[in-house]
Amino acid sequence: MNGQPSVLEKVFAFVDERVGLKTLQAKMLNEPVPGGSRWAYVFGSCLLFIFILQAVTGILLMFYYVPSADHAYASTQYIIHEVDYGWFILSYHFWGSSAMVVMVFAHMSQVFLWGAYKKPREMVWLVGLALFGLVMAFGFTGYLLPWDQRAYWATTVGVEIMDKTPVLGDFIARFLKGGPTPGQMTLSRFFVIHVMILPAALMGLAGLHLFLFRKAGPAGPFRGSTEELKAKTDFFFPRQVWKDIVAMAAVFVTICSLAFIEPVVLLEEATPDPGDYHPEPEWYFLFLFQMLRLKIFAGEFGQFLAGVAIPNAFLLLLAALPFIDRSPERNIFKRPIALIGWIVVMAGILIFTVSAIINREFLD
Amino acid sequence: MTGQASNMSSVKLGLAVAWPAFWTGVPIKIVIALLLLAMGLYPWEMPGLAFLLLLSIPIDIWALDLSAKTVFLERLRLQPPARVGVTLWWQAMLLYALYLPIAYLIESQTVAGAKAVAGRVFELELLKSLPVPERISIELTMWGSVAAVVLLALVVGWLLGFGRIVGMQVATARPAAEPYQALVRQWDLLRVPADQPLLLTVLTATGVTLVVLFWAFMPVTTPHPHELYQKPQERVAPSLKPAEALQKTEKVIAQAELAVQALEAKARAGSKNKDKNKKTGKRDARSKAD
Repeated sequence: MNGQPSVLEKVFAFVDERVGLKTLQAKMLNEPVPGGSRWAYVFGSCLLFIFILQAVTGILLMFYYVPSADHAYASTQYIIHEVDYGWFILSYHFWGSSAMVVMVFAHMSQVFLWGAYKKPREMVWLVGLALFGLVMAFGFTGYLLPWDQRAYWATTVGVEIMDKTPVLGDFIARFLKGGPTPGQMTLSRFFVIHVMILPAALMGLAGLHLFLFRKAGPAGPFRGSTEELKAKTDFFFPRQVWKDIVAMAAVFVTICSLAFIEPVVLLEEATPDPGDYHPEPEWYFLFLFQMLRLKIFAGEFGQFLAGVAIPNAFLLLLAALPFIDRSPERNIFKRPIALIGWIVVMAGILIFTVSAIINREFLD
Repeated sequence: MTGQASNMSSVKLGLAVAWPAFWTGVPIKIVIALLLLAMGLYPWEMPGLAFLLLLSIPIDIWALDLSAKTVFLERLRLQPPARVGVTLWWQAMLLYALYLPIAYLIESQTVAGAKAVAGRVFELELLKSLPVPERISIELTMWGSVAAVVLLALVVGWLLGFGRIVGMQVATARPAAEPYQALVRQWDLLRVPADQPLLLTVLTATGVTLVVLFWAFMPVTTPHPHELYQKPQERVAPSLKPAEALQKTEKVIAQAELAVQALEAKARAGSKNKDKNKKTGKRDARSKAD
């Protein structure tokens, strides 16, 4: 050791002088976490991690995928059967989308139960809701791309539900389909939305979400006196970073395991004749699909009510939540309406999803 | 026993140790499960299951040791007894061996009973006309809520038993003389060792080894899906036989030609009849006029 800086240190110093790396690093890692690090805070980081891996696997799939009605199915089959590890990349991408939906629900639930949407974090909550919409849109548009019967009919059902929206419904349905039935135009439009518009929107909104979050600061736990929280307050690095890394690794390994247990297998190529196949959407829309089967929601108006009005009214309620619930109380055990509301919504989603799965037996 | 320990119920004490211990072990167990899957072994079938259970023993002991020591130091302000992880592990295993079969029996009987009752309710004349989707959801809610409540009670029962086991260890522990900050530092160091570069090196080396093993074991082409998760078989389109197809097409064309000829002949005959009718019609009209 001669005390001289190494080449790496010289390069770092050179870049730091021009960009301010040390300041950036300090800003990124030295964020105070009130009450210290917690496992409950890992969901947001996990979401970002899943999105990055979805982008990476998506790019790898695009090297082989052909977004045309004539070749989409064949190119997907080629990825599964011919490309080295293609089955794994595709299956990871498929299960990654489900993981993203699960993680969004977990993250939103944590924020809701912790009361972290309250003043001064209303903007963070609103942007988060928009991101939730984008994640669902990602799932919906990506589902059509393999161009098999499942993809074709799930999209047909989804677009038909959108068609029920008054005034805008017809336009949205025609815009998405690009014709009377799903075809080349639909595939092109869904592909562009999936790989261009949604990722750009998600990157922008995720950046805004993080900026607003850092501006408002983490909410911290809902229990404990100010003195206790102050005593336990820690920086983002290293404890929260470590927890985030462990959680990300667990998520990654879980998605990989699912890809192994149930790799993607395509049904027959898409045709306008469903044949024996009973159309149904992806599992995270199943609860909505099952609601549409109820007699109470029969007819044009009923379908509009269950498919469009109720979900949108619920989303509007979520958006208005920080402005309706102005009480500073964050402890979920002291907010009975919020707790019961959350349990009812989760139980409802679970019951209708399982009902839709049981319902399959009655269709065959 | 300290004041904090005596204030804690057995269920709370059991949960305080079992919950973090479970999540501490999960990430490592999933990694092992993934490696087994990559090797083509299913972790819920033999021999994968035996392998996973065997490897879970040291993981569970370590996780129980870590979470129990944390609870003792941070929440109970007690010095944890020596080998607390091993003691809690074998006692918990004994509890599992006794409790799990009984719990399984109770839960399965409850599910079967609740399903039978729900099924009988729907046999009532009044409810027979209920549409299938409504019936499914109501039936599921009926037996599902009963099953969930019983399952919750069984979990609480297990936590009560495990909490008593932890309580026995608490009874033998001596109070910690050090100030709270020193205790916090003590349990903190359980997780963050003094030699952090060594920890990072070990972790990186383990990570690299696991990644290499994963890619080495992973099949290049799609592995055969497990029989439980097999998708419906793709219908194979009939293969094209050129000679047969040509013969078939020729037959269809010949038949079409015959049909066209028949239609033309019919049309010609029809037009002749029309001409005849027109002529006779004119003659009749003239004779009527005369």
